[in-house]
Amino acid sequence: MSFLHFIVNDVLGQASILIALIAMIGLFAQKKSTGQVITGTFKTLLGFLVLLAGANIIVNALNFLGEVFQKGFNMRGVVTDVGSIAGIAQQTLGRETALIMVLAFIVNILIARFTRYKYIFLTGQASLWMATVCSVIGYMGGLRGTELIVIGGVIAGMMAVCMPALAQPIVRKITGSDDIALGHFCTIGYIIQAGVAKLTGDVSKSTEDLELPQSLSFLQDTYLSMMVVMIPIYLIPTVVAGPDVVAAYSKGVNYLVFSFLQSVQFVVGVYVLLAGVRLLLAEIVPAFRGIALRIVPNAVPALDCPVLFPYAPNAVIIGFISTTVGSVLGMFLFPWVGLAMILPGMLTNFFAGGTAGIFSNAVGGRRGAIIGGVFHGLLITLLPALLLPLLGQYGFANVTFSDSDVISVGLVFGHILNFFH
Amino acid sequence: MKKLSILAVCGAGLGSSFACEMSIEAALKDLGVDADLSHCDISSATSTRADIIVTGENFRSQFQHYTIKATVVYLKRLVDKTEIKTKLTPILQELGYLA
Repeated sequence: MSFLHFIVNDVLGQASILIALIAMIGLFAQKKSTGQVITGTFKTLLGFLVLLAGANIIVNALNFLGEVFQKGFNMRGVVTDVGSIAGIAQQTLGRETALIMVLAFIVNILIARFTRYKYIFLTGQASLWMATVCSVIGYMGGLRGTELIVIGGVIAGMMAVCMPALAQPIVRKITGSDDIALGHFCTIGYIIQAGVAKLTGDVSKSTEDLELPQSLSFLQDTYLSMMVVMIPIYLIPTVVAGPDVVAAYSKGVNYLVFSFLQSVQFVVGVYVLLAGVRLLLAEIVPAFRGIALRIVPNAVPALDCPVLFPYAPNAVIIGFISTTVGSVLGMFLFPWVGLAMILPGMLTNFFAGGTAGIFSNAVGGRRGAIIGGVFHGLLITLLPALLLPLLGQYGFANVTFSDSDVISVGLVFGHILNFFH
Repeated sequence: MKKLSILAVCGAGLGSSFACEMSIEAALKDLGVDADLSHCDISSATSTRADIIVTGENFRSQFQHYTIKATVVYLKRLVDKTEIKTKLTPILQELGYLA
């Protein structure tokens, strides 16, 4: 009895071990060699622990930001970064999230097998974010154990088919084929932006006829562009708060230098966290893909958004800039109506903004991409502000979810759970 | 002969480079070439020692800032197996991995 207890609670209770075992099963199912099974299993274990280490770095950097923001402006500033909050949530809900993700894969395969929607969602990190929002919101709504995992897994699995299906009419227009679908949980934002672009734009004047300056291309290096934005986000409140507030943290380092390095430290955290995610998914995604393609004939892989970038590279830059303008406007606008100040999340602004730019260019040309982008920026700033009260204890780390579909699921799921309580 | 290493690269090193890596794997299987495959972000790519780097056309200007020993392949469609095969074949022949 005590041995069983040891296995179930002490061994499998550790999310890192559980995930490594899931990867191991996947590797066995693909009939990999013993050597590959061992290295793949340990790589996955390593990945999960690297992810947690990244989350710790982020939490430290955010604590400092929260403090200077509070003292400087007398209000809360919350960063939107889905990876960061997912990392933080894994510290306590890792097991639930892992099992929701596995169940979501199964639900995805079943829907694709038995309906005419043949989409197989292959963007592993997006699946992880979706599983995280389901576990966090479900947990805060009072669900526990099996109930939480089953409900979360079914929701996440359905989203994995519904969102690519929703995007496909415009993806077809962009790529000119039905070979690939878009698997990225920002689809609701893309569709809304495309709607605005269609109403306000002129499809005959494409972004791709423009000549954009070469110097903007560094923005494609996401960690660099993130740093460019995080530096003022840290330095401005630090200047307002003054050296006394910083002194408690800085151990004698000049307050501006300290704050500058903290802003870079935040990016370091995101870098480490995503390196962990990469290791974590390296074995799980190919296993899922292999199994899915065997079970589902004519499966359409739903892939991460940058696969669309080469089709309209100018639209990516324009969408990114206009979304960022919208999110900065929203940052100042929404606190006026009593919502938290949401600081722009650069990863989402780049990937979601860039893809939204491609979508709106396809239906509304360059004017559509610009106007739609500003609107998109406002939307992705409003949604996290609305979600914040539902996050409970998970919202206190000064970071929240980004990605419109992930938040929309959180909002709908959270309010339904609250309604029944 | 040293085992060939190929690196797929995108902006964050998570999604599309991974999808690209899986397409490269399929392409190499057709060509009968065995290689170590991995994927990463563009900042890390410049400091790794791969023989061949595969990335999107949109990153061309980024890569031209650096001197990289690896042969860089730019793709229009990151997951197009045919394009990958067409562009990799001459390089593999030059490096001696393909007759």
